Amino acid sequence: MKLQNIWFVVLACKVNLYILEYSIKYIFRDKYKNIFIVIVMSLLVALLAATLFISNSMKAKYNSIIDNYPDIVITNQKALRDSTIDENEIDKVLTLKGVTSVVARVWGHYYFLNADKKFLILGRDEFETYFNPLLNQKMNINKESMLVSKDVKKILNDNYYKKYFNFIKSDGMIEKVKIQNTLDLDTSVKNPLLIIMNKDLAKNIFQYKNSEVTDLAVSVANKNEIAFIATKIKILFPNARITIKDDLRVHYENIYNLRSGFFLTIFIITFFTFFIIIYDKVSGLNSEQRQEIGILKALGWRVSDVLNAKLYEGSIISLLSYILGISFALIYVYVFNAPYLKDMFLNNYNLLPDFKIAFTMDYETLALLFFLSVPIYIAATIIPSWRVATLEADEVMR
Amino acid sequence: MIKLLNVSKIYDKNVIALDDVSLTFQEGELVVLKGVSGSGKSTILSLIGGLVKPTSGEVLVDNKKISKIPDHFVSSFRQKNIGFIFQKYNLISMLSVAENILLPLAPLNLSRLEHKERLAKVLGLFSIEDKRDVVVKNLSGGQQQRVAIARANINSPKIILADEPTANLDEKLSIEFIEILKELKSQNRTIIVATHDPLFFELDFVDRVIEVKNAKIVL
Repeated sequence: MKLQNIWFVVLACKVNLYILEYSIKYIFRDKYKNIFIVIVMSLLVALLAATLFISNSMKAKYNSIIDNYPDIVITNQKALRDSTIDENEIDKVLTLKGVTSVVARVWGHYYFLNADKKFLILGRDEFETYFNPLLNQKMNINKESMLVSKDVKKILNDNYYKKYFNFIKSDGMIEKVKIQNTLDLDTSVKNPLLIIMNKDLAKNIFQYKNSEVTDLAVSVANKNEIAFIATKIKILFPNARITIKDDLRVHYENIYNLRSGFFLTIFIITFFTFFIIIYDKVSGLNSEQRQEIGILKALGWRVSDVLNAKLYEGSIISLLSYILGISFALIYVYVFNAPYLKDMFLNNYNLLPDFKIAFTMDYETLALLFFLSVPIYIAATIIPSWRVATLEADEVMR
Repeated sequence: MIKLLNVSKIYDKNVIALDDVSLTFQEGELVVLKGVSGSGKSTILSLIGGLVKPTSGEVLVDNKKISKIPDHFVSSFRQKNIGFIFQKYNLISMLSVAENILLPLAPLNLSRLEHKERLAKVLGLFSIEDKRDVVVKNLSGGQQQRVAIARANINSPKIILADEPTANLDEKLSIEFIEILKELKSQNRTIIVATHDPLFFELDFVDRVIEVKNAKIVL
């Protein structure tokens, strides 16, 4: 905003500093009550803001995960349990019209007994294009080396694996792999215990046979045809589990909706408390407050002057509460990573394992909380005073 | 000049406060309205000050029909022309003497210097300079009355309306108040005092004493 525009706004507001001073003194005259209101309102704003920051962060995260998910994933099943699939089945899938590409993926978990940790291993072939952009980056690894995330690096270091790590395969043999480098991951990445290695090396560690892969990721040209093509694939592979992007979205949303119930509870409790404060303000002024308005009118204050004083009073208290509340929430969520509250959202469900809240300035949440708190409180301060100020001063003072 | 033309005021529950009253007050006059409590003398002051509107009739102050003009304009008119002195002082007890006295000036948004000068003038006039920053609730009745008078004079109003000004004062303080009134009259202010205090009835500088009885003027 240009400087002249700011001046225009300031002049348009015509802040009367004497009335503002009167309002500040009025607040301090009832300081214990007003301090209590500011504390309660700040906590309510902080609780709601923290909840919204976490939930929005989770939504953004699972949306980004889903965006990087293949259109269709074919997972072979034996006895209704996930099994490997033959890489050569790609040719069958490619015969279907509308399928643009099929990638044979190799991935799985490795349990590291010493640290009691489970690493996620992703196999990568530099000539293939993956849905996950992380795997498409240029990486300096060969068939005997791997990239590890910072968290994995730390665990390995703690267990004296500085340059190499020995994977113990299912036949008891050891596969020695060089730790090539550390991955620079987004702090909010789904699984920070990540290892990326050559696809053949991953197959070797998982002891897959030559043509075995974990699953097939299918890309479809027309996104409206995903469900239709998935049905055709199901006919081709009656034993396979076919997962489409929308299924995953529904899965995440179903789990997230459970959290929404929790959020709704917080929301209702918060607003119930807030409206008790508002009700108390709107329900009227005591005789002393009424008389004071009568005195001001008798001294020549217009109704608009009285309302200005109340506007300043309500604005100071509500804006202070809002700013304090938002500051508390920002510090609690982004500095302290929302202890307790985050656990309530994430624990017991494997929704976003080891989820770290990424900082995003969520203007919609800030605006929502502002409009749900500040104008309502100001209105609740002004309305009872307006009712009194519009009466005859003599009647009010009697 | 202040005129009440056939003014009646009926409050809620059909309480008749004034019944067809006509009165004229000349500029610079000091008039005492006498009568028992509930006779209607305070209502006359409230009507002149625009604190209430008459049920019927007209109130003219300086040829302005203040009983007909909107509340917004009455407030501005009162701010510039009328100073009120109330029986219970009607000060804001948690504010200081200076803050109370300056309250009528707040909506005018004058300069700090103007505030300072006017405040110094009234504090001196009513000998309360040393009480400037004292919180009003810590003052005696007489001191509070002086603050109320100072507040009524901060705008140098042409008209001063005093409602039972000595009701809460002892005789010594009442005489002090009368001296202040005399001083204000000498400044050519129009002063109307509603009281049942006999001290006011025999004062040589009082121009008229009007008796109000049962909502009517006793001739």
